[in-house]
Amino acid sequence: MDRVIERPEDRVPTGVPGLDAVLHGGLLRRGVYMLQGRPGAGKTILANQMSFHHAAQGGRVLYTTLLAETHERLIFNLEPLSFFDTSRIPEQISYLSAFSTLEESGLKGLVEVLRREVRVRKSTLLVVDGLVAVEESAATRKDFKKFIHELQVHVSFIGCTVLLLTSASTEPVGPEHTMVDGVIALDDTRLGRGAERELEVKKFRGSSFLRGGHAFQITRDGIKVLPRLEALLQEPSREDPCKTARVSTGIAQLDKMIGGGLPCASTSVLFGPTGAGKTTFGLHFLNESSKTEPGLLFGFYETPARIFLKARVLGLDLEKKHKQGVFHMLWHPPTERILDGLGNKLLTTVREQGIRRLFIDGVDGFMQSAAHPERISHFLAALTNELRVLGITTVYTSELQDMFVSDVRLPISGVSSLVENILFLRFVELRSRVYRMLSVVKVRDSDYDSSLREYRITSRGIQLADTFESAESVLTGDAKPTGTPRPKRKGLLRKRKP
Amino acid sequence: MKTLLVVDDEVGVTEALQDLLSDEGFTVLTARNGKDGLKRIGEKRPDLILLDYMMPVMDGRELLLALQADATHQDIPVILMSAMPRSSIPADCKPAAFLRKPFDIDHLLAEVGRLLTPG
Repeated sequence: MDRVIERPEDRVPTGVPGLDAVLHGGLLRRGVYMLQGRPGAGKTILANQMSFHHAAQGGRVLYTTLLAETHERLIFNLEPLSFFDTSRIPEQISYLSAFSTLEESGLKGLVEVLRREVRVRKSTLLVVDGLVAVEESAATRKDFKKFIHELQVHVSFIGCTVLLLTSASTEPVGPEHTMVDGVIALDDTRLGRGAERELEVKKFRGSSFLRGGHAFQITRDGIKVLPRLEALLQEPSREDPCKTARVSTGIAQLDKMIGGGLPCASTSVLFGPTGAGKTTFGLHFLNESSKTEPGLLFGFYETPARIFLKARVLGLDLEKKHKQGVFHMLWHPPTERILDGLGNKLLTTVREQGIRRLFIDGVDGFMQSAAHPERISHFLAALTNELRVLGITTVYTSELQDMFVSDVRLPISGVSSLVENILFLRFVELRSRVYRMLSVVKVRDSDYDSSLREYRITSRGIQLADTFESAESVLTGDAKPTGTPRPKRKGLLRKRKP
Repeated sequence: MKTLLVVDDEVGVTEALQDLLSDEGFTVLTARNGKDGLKRIGEKRPDLILLDYMMPVMDGRELLLALQADATHQDIPVILMSAMPRSSIPADCKPAAFLRKPFDIDHLLAEVGRLLTPG
């Protein structure tokens, strides 16, 4: 019986937040990967971030530069970044300039130096920063391809993974792209007066990956990739629990209208114009947060201080629940935002805090954060599906632009098909007064009271009335009295003096 | 100094192994296919053969069977290398060791050391 040594299936995690998710676990060991992008795109930061992570995992890195830039300058620029750790240099991370080798000995000499240094230093990751210099030194395209091939074969036997950094343009595709095991492109796209950085894996041999562009940010901690949510969650992370229990809205009369509360793990949307009280409904829902049902408010417009004040005025003590740790808030001011960053942050908080009640105040905020608005319905579908399988009962609000119209235009197309429950809040004018009206138009797998109800916002919270029978055509926003109110009716309107 | 013969149709592989194994103190001969390999063996008997499985003209299996049938060379240890799993190699192929490509040079050196150690 001969001795058999099978190839191990191993990955080299990049350690770059979000990138390993895009790569389905990291690069493949022994692979040769091209990292391309224009100057300033973030290639050097990304390669160094991966290098320091690799070293922290026990690996050894040879970082070779083929640029005129000195290592002092390189290190000076990296020092402010939190991942930069001088204690790793030079034992685990060696910086080597091969600029003069390339100038004096050409490609053959460079391969020889790289091969020798990788072997001597027992490197498990080789970075070649400045591949464009190799390309310029090659007499022919064939020589350039040969350089990559020789490097590929040599490092393969040494078990080393290679990153080739190049600022060469992505189009047209060069022959070198056909030789490497993967191509990761970094781009910085201008959007109006702003800009969005984007990473795309254009090729990744031997592994699946999340295709398409993914936004990324460069911060003091280095690069953070924000995988496109709809790509990351093509399939929800688990089976739909199909729960049948009911979750209270925090408003007893409303619970009664919809069969005892919102279906557990369902998604609801509350449509209404500004001032209708959408946030107020949400605060009632969150006021039911408890140890067994922690709640989260994910908002875009009102600050936490204003939310607490609003709750206090309604007689809801959310501040206390916040201190008890059963109610959480995530507020995102309307500044620079990245859609996938918001989605990832929301899901992370939901998972970490074991959230069961989620109120997203202003789903339109996602729309405003989208660099590519055509994505929004796919994004919301992925988010909603994931929240559902996580067993979270979610309530979104969505603002209607017009206050008194019969023709309702939904701000985001496709939202109503994503959600199981839909509630409308409207203003109705009657006898020179404006009333607030609620109607339920859809509840998942359940009968519900479809009558129109008036509600008032009081110091004791929302007070929901009985059926609004005294008006007709109310949904037109131009209600007409039908006669003397019936004595048996107990609606709030009856009590008013017109 | 021990002599190793590397038989592989991929020039990059033979060159890389020649470089790496020379660094370890071996004399390294190379051949592009099984037929070329047999010729080399006839010229100078190697102490060990690194043999690729899939090659044109004469593949690794044919070379291995030819060596097994040759009383003067059947004792030369052969390490068969292939990107295919061992289970896909016919049972009549009986190398001293099998390495699945890609492999680490350290694994190869360990096998070479083991097979060249007397006893």
